[in-house]
Amino acid sequence: MANKIKNEFVAYSEPAIRNNLSIVEYCRTSVAAVSGCTAGVLGLTGLYGALFFVIAVTSFWFMLIFKAGIDSWKKYFISRKSLLLNGIFGHFFTYILCWTFIYGMVHVY
Amino acid sequence: MGADLIVDPQIRFWVFLPIVVITFLVGILRHYASILLSSQKKIEIQQLADSQLLLRARALRENSGYIPKNAFLIRKQAFNKEDGYLMQKRPAVSQNMMTDPSMMTDMLKGNLTNVLPMIVIGGWINWMFSGFITTKVPFPLTLRFKSMLQRGIELSHLDASWVSSASWYFLNVFGLRSIYTLVLGENNAADQSKQMQEQMQMTGAASGMPADPKVPFKAEWEALEITEHQTKLADVEKDLL
Amino acid sequence: MGNFKKDLENLRQFRENNDRNSREVVQIWINSIGSNIDKLGKEKHVILEQVCIAALDCFQLKVAETCIKGLYNEFPNSCRVQILESMLYEADDNYNRALQILNNVIKHDGTNSSARKRKIAMCKALGRNTEAIKELTEYLKIFMADVEAWQELSELYISEFDYSKAAFCVEELILHNPHNHLLHQRYADIKYSQGGLENIEVARTYYYQSLKLNPKNMRALYGIYLTTSAMLNTQKVVTGKKKDAAQKILDWVLKEIKERYSENQVSDIEESLAALEI
Repeated sequence: MANKIKNEFVAYSEPAIRNNLSIVEYCRTSVAAVSGCTAGVLGLTGLYGALFFVIAVTSFWFMLIFKAGIDSWKKYFISRKSLLLNGIFGHFFTYILCWTFIYGMVHVY
Repeated sequence: MGADLIVDPQIRFWVFLPIVVITFLVGILRHYASILLSSQKKIEIQQLADSQLLLRARALRENSGYIPKNAFLIRKQAFNKEDGYLMQKRPAVSQNMMTDPSMMTDMLKGNLTNVLPMIVIGGWINWMFSGFITTKVPFPLTLRFKSMLQRGIELSHLDASWVSSASWYFLNVFGLRSIYTLVLGENNAADQSKQMQEQMQMTGAASGMPADPKVPFKAEWEALEITEHQTKLADVEKDLL
Repeated sequence: MGNFKKDLENLRQFRENNDRNSREVVQIWINSIGSNIDKLGKEKHVILEQVCIAALDCFQLKVAETCIKGLYNEFPNSCRVQILESMLYEADDNYNRALQILNNVIKHDGTNSSARKRKIAMCKALGRNTEAIKELTEYLKIFMADVEAWQELSELYISEFDYSKAAFCVEELILHNPHNHLLHQRYADIKYSQGGLENIEVARTYYYQSLKLNPKNMRALYGIYLTTSAMLNTQKVVTGKKKDAAQKILDWVLKEIKERYSENQVSDIEESLAALEI
């Protein structure tokens, strides 16, 4: 039961929450992969690349909250922070792989 | 970006790209092979009853506040008394795990789809594409990463951010996990590292059924024993009026 | 061909939403899909199953039989198809044959819950409630976390007027699903029917809980009224303060009920009744 009791009753439906999270996870992986490819094509190196990742992920986070509604995101997710930070290292790894791959294809040779 | 090293563009098409493609396709192949090989596990009726029992005990523990006190105590008694549900004597299951032929074939299949391709493909790639510098990571790295990224190349003067073919393969093996999730959906079988973890815990745990019911029963028994009934309905009247 | 696609889409939607809509399903089968069943590929067998059940609902035994035949061609030893076949016999009043098949399936695969459920449903259909209860308790010994089975058992007990056992089953339902106002309301109903001051007090608490979870629950509101007035009547020694409080509650509830009724005329009675089904 994913329920959370504050001063008011808020009951979450667990399958629905799980479904939301898995969709978001899918999107975030895509964002990591696509931004990695972009960084590779642009030929970013070193810290610029890391900065680009941070920008991409946070802007996706903002877009997500905007999409869910700035006031109504609570209806769909339990925590806003976990939307940003869940599995961030895994995504960073994906980003690095795509980045390295495209960078290698375009700029090294 | 002054490249201090010129790499033959042929390497891109004959080493760099093939490694990515091969690792990816092998992952996909593994996914479908494991679907093909996976046998429907025959569930023992006792196991099923056990897992359902645990579910019920957990529900009781978590939501006990919503039922009246005596109802909770009746249930607690039924679960936790001397010969209650959670104290049943069971013949030990763990001994016959190894001798059980179906378990053995399961493990064999697991090995067949996991370990074997890893060794074969890894060895083949090592042999086929050995000794190439394939790419350069776009960020500076310390010397410590040299052994990780430049397997198969012993050049002490080479900058640490160059990647050898063997290392590129391993990077792909571990990094493609999330790409598989994108392509094949969650819970796919393409991912090696996850599967290896699963193997550690033995196949029984994967199906959500504990091989030996005693351990989770004991844990649940303890948890239930310390659960006190605290009604959540005491203040409903005040809340409403 | 566009029509065909639309029909398929419809069927898919029924399956996803668990809508039974048997008449439409059979109609779709007769109109378009039945003659093109081999063109469906992967979806074919799911649709055959869906149509088969729908056809049994509408007593179109011929249609059901063709579906089962099609399924048997593909899966000669499947338990699922055997259960469908037993349902066909059941629909045809051939209960013995159906029972035989089901027993066979259970013997073959002890973990098959749907076969056991069918057996219980058959007992119920034949009006043998006590037998159904016995079977169902046996079933629940194995599938302890099956919420639907607990609910069915509670309804059977209610029909046998065995309220304390029914209450036990509803408690089990509440444990698994503590945020469903209808369950709390049902529990209160049972406790109220049991009678006795203590039970009525419990009933009142649960009516409150139900009303809290869903402020629109009229039945809970009325339940509060009934329980409170019953308490006023049965309590022999009522101190002035308590009586006042109870009277206050009564007034409040009555006011609420009246307000609700004046607020909106019930427009679609069937819909609002359906919302109160568990």
